[in-house]
Amino acid sequence: MSLKSKQHNLFLFPRWMNAVRPYIAVGMLLAPIYAVALIYYAFSPTTTMARYMPEQPVPYSHALHAGDLGIDCRYCHNTVEYGAAAAIPPTQVCMNCHATIRATSEKLAVVRESFESGMPIPWVRVHDLPDFVFFNHSAHVNRGVGCRSCHGRIDRMDTVYQEERLSMGWCLGCHRDPDPNIRPVASITDMTWEAPGDAARFGAKLREEKQIQPSEDCSVCHR
Amino acid sequence: MPIWGMVIDLDRCTGCGGCMAACKVENNVQVVPPGEALKGRGMHWLTILSRTEGEYPDVEAVLQPDLCMMCDDAPCTKVCPVHATYRGAYGLVAQIYPRCIGCRYCMAACPYTVKFFNWTAGEEGVNLSSSLNPDVSVRPKGVVEKCTFCYHRLQKAKERVRAEQREIAGGDYVPACVEMCPAKAMTFGDLDDGESPVSRLAASRRASQLLEHLGTEPKVYYLSKRDRNV
Repeated sequence: MSLKSKQHNLFLFPRWMNAVRPYIAVGMLLAPIYAVALIYYAFSPTTTMARYMPEQPVPYSHALHAGDLGIDCRYCHNTVEYGAAAAIPPTQVCMNCHATIRATSEKLAVVRESFESGMPIPWVRVHDLPDFVFFNHSAHVNRGVGCRSCHGRIDRMDTVYQEERLSMGWCLGCHRDPDPNIRPVASITDMTWEAPGDAARFGAKLREEKQIQPSEDCSVCHR
Repeated sequence: MPIWGMVIDLDRCTGCGGCMAACKVENNVQVVPPGEALKGRGMHWLTILSRTEGEYPDVEAVLQPDLCMMCDDAPCTKVCPVHATYRGAYGLVAQIYPRCIGCRYCMAACPYTVKFFNWTAGEEGVNLSSSLNPDVSVRPKGVVEKCTFCYHRLQKAKERVRAEQREIAGGDYVPACVEMCPAKAMTFGDLDDGESPVSRLAASRRASQLLEHLGTEPKVYYLSKRDRNV
């Protein structure tokens, strides 16, 4: 073989490529399907944990306590106005009522056991943000973002589940346009509260009054 | 809005290393295993630079705490390709770990060498899991980190002053190193307020900034009789 034809061959696909061609065609057909499936999966509830509803050690019903009985959220989650975390109540809080109400119920066996041993009830966390995100309940609650805006209608949930995606895009959506989610601080825990008239206009008025400026600075949440 | 700054009085500093330890504990800075540290991968957001001056018997140790200068014109922020480090609110240079891709351009750009790359993420080092500060994230392997002037403390102070219904002022928070300093060599506060102790000290004749000629406008000032011949 001459030098010229050897060089010529360098720029041609080798002969075995003919056998590979149909597979490349199949690959090119499948690639868009794969891309679509990947994006769908990334935003699906499996990934975002929306509708995550773990089984709790005690069949505690928010629908009964917060909904039917109308106990304020802050009776149990008492640090929500002052601290970053809305406290999970100690067993003593349950026993304030259940020492006398349904004191022998089978469903409350775990609670009584915990009260006697002093070990906390192993509640399963539902709303769990990544470790590099720092959310502060008091910052939101004291500016008039109601519980319902992020947690949904807790008063209708027998078992609590995660209502929203809790993704960064979801957070920023409200930080960029908070007006529809701002309400008077007096009714933050009111699950049935509705803005009089247009929610966005009502919220805008409150935002002006309280000078609420939601931050979009990264280091406010990531630090 | 205050512009936070720091003044370190080198004439008072004894070089005890209290600030280093306080910083390390406060900010969950990982303890790098000795082998890695020998490769120059040790991690201290605040280090104490030391050198000796003079000939025996007139030898003097010069000790200088070295931390992020929170430059007003920070070279590191200009080279970051992903906006993970930028000059944010209060003039603080932020470092967003989940955003960082670990390219280390900022480390190369920083003239003060106060940015650190996570080589190990503590998997071989001392396990600190039971003593971590819950207000600060634990950085993963492969990101760059640096002093934040204890930004988590600022966040808490912001919430506190909001509850007290007033604006945040110079004395509302101090970083862990300043709180720790037993010689009271470190002063922290609002550089924007001409009456604050920190701006008075920064205007003193003893004051200088590190590598002033680079024009990075650091917000950490050093006081020393030595360099200024005061």
